[in-house]
Amino acid sequence: MTLLNAAPRVITVGTGLLDEALRAQAVATVPVEWRPPLPGTARALERVLSDPRREAANELAVGRLVSARPHLVGVRRASEVLDAGTFLHAGPPITWERASGPMRGALIGAMVLEGLAADEHEAGEALAAGAVTLSPCHEHAAVGPMAGVVSPSMWLFEVRDDEHGGTAYCSLNEGLGKVLRYGAYGPEVLDRLRWMDRVLGPALAAALERTGPIDLRSLIAQALQMGDELHNRNRAATSLLLRELAPAVVAAAPAEAADVLRFIGGNDHFFLNAGMAAAKVSTDAARDVPGSSLVVAMARNGTDFGVQVSGLGGRWFTGPAGVPDGLYLGSYGPADANPDIGDSTITETSGLGGFAMAASPAIVRFVGGEVEDAVRATRSMYEITLTEHPAYQIPGLGFRGTPVGIDLTLVARTGLLPVVNTGIAGRVAGTGQVGAGLVEPPVEAFTDALRALADLSK
Amino acid sequence: MTVSTHARRTRAHVTGAASTAVRPVLEGQRRPARVLATFAEGVYLEVRTDVEPAVIAVITGEATRLPNSVLLATPLPHVTVGDEASVGDRVIDLGPLSLGVRRWWDPSPPLGRVDRDRLAQVAAVLGDPPGAGLAGDGAVELLADSCAKGWLLGVVTAAERLVGLGPGLTPSGDDVLAGLLVALRHLGAAAGTRRAVWLADWLAATVTYDARTRTTPISATLLHCAAKGEASPEVIAVLRGVAGRQALEPALRRLHRLGHTSGADLAQGVTIGVRAVLSLSGGR
Amino acid sequence: MNGLPQAVLVRRGAYHDSVALMRVSRALSELPGVQAAMVAMATDLNVSILRELGFGVQEAGPGDLVIAVRARDTDAAVREADRRLAASSSRAHGAAGDQPPLTTRSAAARGPADLVLISTPGEYAFFEALDAVEAGLPVMIFSDGVPVESERLLKELAEARDVLVMGPDCGTAVIAGAGLGFANVLSPGPVGVVAASGTGAQQVTCLLDWAGTGVSHVLGVGGRDLSAEVGGLSTRRALRMLDDDPATELIVLVSKPPDPEVARALEAEPPRTPVVRALLGEGAPDLTQATEQALRALGRPVPEWPSWPAWRGTRPAPERIRGLYAGGTLSAEAALLAGGGDFVDFGDDAYTRGRAHPMIDPALRVEALGRAGETDVVLMDVVLGHGADPDPAASLAHAVARTPATVVIALIGTEGDPQDLHRQAAAFREAGAAVFTSNAQAARHARSLL
Repeated sequence: MTLLNAAPRVITVGTGLLDEALRAQAVATVPVEWRPPLPGTARALERVLSDPRREAANELAVGRLVSARPHLVGVRRASEVLDAGTFLHAGPPITWERASGPMRGALIGAMVLEGLAADEHEAGEALAAGAVTLSPCHEHAAVGPMAGVVSPSMWLFEVRDDEHGGTAYCSLNEGLGKVLRYGAYGPEVLDRLRWMDRVLGPALAAALERTGPIDLRSLIAQALQMGDELHNRNRAATSLLLRELAPAVVAAAPAEAADVLRFIGGNDHFFLNAGMAAAKVSTDAARDVPGSSLVVAMARNGTDFGVQVSGLGGRWFTGPAGVPDGLYLGSYGPADANPDIGDSTITETSGLGGFAMAASPAIVRFVGGEVEDAVRATRSMYEITLTEHPAYQIPGLGFRGTPVGIDLTLVARTGLLPVVNTGIAGRVAGTGQVGAGLVEPPVEAFTDALRALADLSK
Repeated sequence: MTVSTHARRTRAHVTGAASTAVRPVLEGQRRPARVLATFAEGVYLEVRTDVEPAVIAVITGEATRLPNSVLLATPLPHVTVGDEASVGDRVIDLGPLSLGVRRWWDPSPPLGRVDRDRLAQVAAVLGDPPGAGLAGDGAVELLADSCAKGWLLGVVTAAERLVGLGPGLTPSGDDVLAGLLVALRHLGAAAGTRRAVWLADWLAATVTYDARTRTTPISATLLHCAAKGEASPEVIAVLRGVAGRQALEPALRRLHRLGHTSGADLAQGVTIGVRAVLSLSGGR
Repeated sequence: MNGLPQAVLVRRGAYHDSVALMRVSRALSELPGVQAAMVAMATDLNVSILRELGFGVQEAGPGDLVIAVRARDTDAAVREADRRLAASSSRAHGAAGDQPPLTTRSAAARGPADLVLISTPGEYAFFEALDAVEAGLPVMIFSDGVPVESERLLKELAEARDVLVMGPDCGTAVIAGAGLGFANVLSPGPVGVVAASGTGAQQVTCLLDWAGTGVSHVLGVGGRDLSAEVGGLSTRRALRMLDDDPATELIVLVSKPPDPEVARALEAEPPRTPVVRALLGEGAPDLTQATEQALRALGRPVPEWPSWPAWRGTRPAPERIRGLYAGGTLSAEAALLAGGGDFVDFGDDAYTRGRAHPMIDPALRVEALGRAGETDVVLMDVVLGHGADPDPAASLAHAVARTPATVVIALIGTEGDPQDLHRQAAAFREAGAAVFTSNAQAARHARSLL
């Protein structure tokens, strides 16, 4: 046994005195900066950590997450996949009564867009009366940024996981400024959505038939090395996607090609939605492993922040969505901000976004702070994740894989919550985007999930 | 003695670990010493004493733990060659530091038992180390042949020629002899080959007799250590590998990396020792 | 003096380790103008001590930090407390951008390590230990108060991963000379120790050191390892490891008598290396005798164990023995040999929740000494070595000198220990105590005084 061959190198956890005593003997130590776990989690931690299934379950779950090979295979009209009379929305389940300004604005816009209401008043009344069924995107193999509202005439990216066979969807990105996902529903918003339904969707569908499946895993890996973190910065990824699509768009829809390409090229976030579908299909591959404490979804509806866990099926664990802290556009300020909203936290759940900030020094200009803050954020996330992504690497950290696979037990033990990059929506319906920044998830979503997992532990 | 009481009082007390080889000098009466050489990772102190080791290496964590070393838990003080120091009464006073020992390690840990089959197996795979300073030298060949035959006169003759042979602070000849001495002692004991231990005793007497006048002070001290079976952990690890107590290949690679040619020279000595113990344990 | 203003602040959820807090408390108390100060986690024990000091604490739990001061300028004292707390918690922060590991799992992933040493509060030690075992690293759990089911689970898992779990409640280990937890500066040598008792192992190894016999390794297993619930898994593994270790020529096993079933399991796999058992209890040899057996088994002479008689005579008619111990095993051994008296083990869980161990924090024993009367013989241990009070005489000798009781001290340490064995012995003798390096001899001496 090698332990007895020489003075050991010691990891010390707990009182600094014992670490000092070893250092005084010239014994090499690595001190852990230990803190007690989050209040009220000790018993649950003990049960979950004692579960004999946990280690293998987490290995299996996170293994599936990082081995997923998402490919963009097509673009479809939502009416093809959506139940009639249903609108999808971001985050955990929400009712009209509890919905925030931007969520209401987006739903109103969708009602008008679909011809189910003549104006915003009629739409609001119909929605309050339950005229359409509201259901989370996440429960339909889909994700949507910000309000995440999907109605039948919207088009969706279709992403397939070549490794595990799953499929996930995400709407097409409308661009920045006054857009439906930020709760704006004015005429120019609806006009743009109609154009997307009439021109953009069919053109992209035809183009993708020509290109065949586009490997998003490799595209994301490249974009990370080009300075994107794939949540608040998608400039490189959008350019890479455009490069793949452009010839096919021209060939498939020559008459519309200029408009289509101008639209994509003019929106640095166009890739975000494809990336989110890729993240969704990857995290979905990690679902439903009994005993696993891996987080498979984090999502916000503008009112609640919800979490789903591999070992806990489709159950949501929620807490109040926080107001992001960041930079504001123009004269907007924190008072104009809506609480956190959107499914785009699926990027963080899959090891991108806030978790990959170190890959994206430029991001600090969107979310505030210094370059070191970005590096520190990524480094801290290794403390709460199960592994490092084999393909998604960060040049600035010596091509280390991004931290991926949030483990509930590590969140509770370290008290460290996932770092989330996000856009900030105006709180008044119809305002649109007011800024971008970082947001802290509510701790109870994680501790409640941990306790629920403890109840199921063996 | 130039170290005044006043100066001692102002020294910062620091601690570290030490090889038990330096214990007699450290726990003996306080003696003057001076800085013999300085490196990024250590300082050699020459102690005015007849007791060996007369040279003590004060080192940091990155340095090789020579059998005569004291490992500092703090950074090395800034001192220059010729600076006065003192060693004894359980402390080393060096520059601004007063160093006490909080841990002792054994530079000659017992190896356990090793059987002849294992030695034969190892001897078959042990090649000549790459980059040995005296590869092909006649005296080394004489040493190897004489050891294998247990021919004392040949061993002594070769050793006489090798002490101090080669450039540097630890000449290659000394390193080969040190590797051989440690291997004969430990493997001889481990294999129960009394003739190997007997040979080690004579070889030890030969090389230590006038080492202080034949080679550099640090090399002389290391020969004295080797004569008692004391070596750095890299050498001990190779012997453990030979005995089958840990993986041999990585241990050899780590040994080869030491110094300019020191590691390869030590390995060459160990190889000669392994073959000698094997051949001397033959006709049981 | 009680007229001075006082302040009691509760900081919710602010965590600092008990040793750091003891140091801050001590530093505050020594400030001019401060009459009393205590900075501690609000455990039941600490709250009751605060109450005795005249500080009322409301609405605070063990997860909260209390800063209590009585001083001319309480604001300044609290500011100083905050400054020192901040300084002690920023210790581990490395260069900018560096993330210190927050869990054992993270530390283990960072680079080569051979062992994990855990000294968190007991209720959390399991999480860190599990990380260690899952990473395939041997672990020493210094913490006490770990539930026995967790211990069993850890040790079963460790069997599957082929790693050693030392503890929980493992106060001492020495691996190739490196002292972990409370351990003494020992020379390398032929004796390997497997110990279910930390202070028991310290007594044996210190006496061996005095006899000029070194130690290969001391492997602690935790006080409950040989119980039926745990089944001796760590003891068996430790014995196998020492049996395989070429440096170990003789093994000393220090423990309470094992559960009979566990004893049978142990006997079923006897080591090839000779074993001397120091099984504490009625009729068994005491630790000193076991040490002597070990020396004889190695064919080495048994020396006189050093002692320093008291210079001041015994008080008139001592009536009873009060044992004030820091080491549980030493306390039990002394109680047995003294044949009666009042023994308190201040190292027990009940006295260490949210407080530093009595080997570091002398406060509770100083207070107990203050309560001893002139018909008492106070029998106490002073343990030297790594991790222990850097100068126990400075903390305790004053109380020894002041007590009207007769004091007998078992001084457990080696000449290499940082505290300087001889200086400590001289200081306690100067204070009027009789000092023994053998706890058994100290206990017998105390008994002879009655």
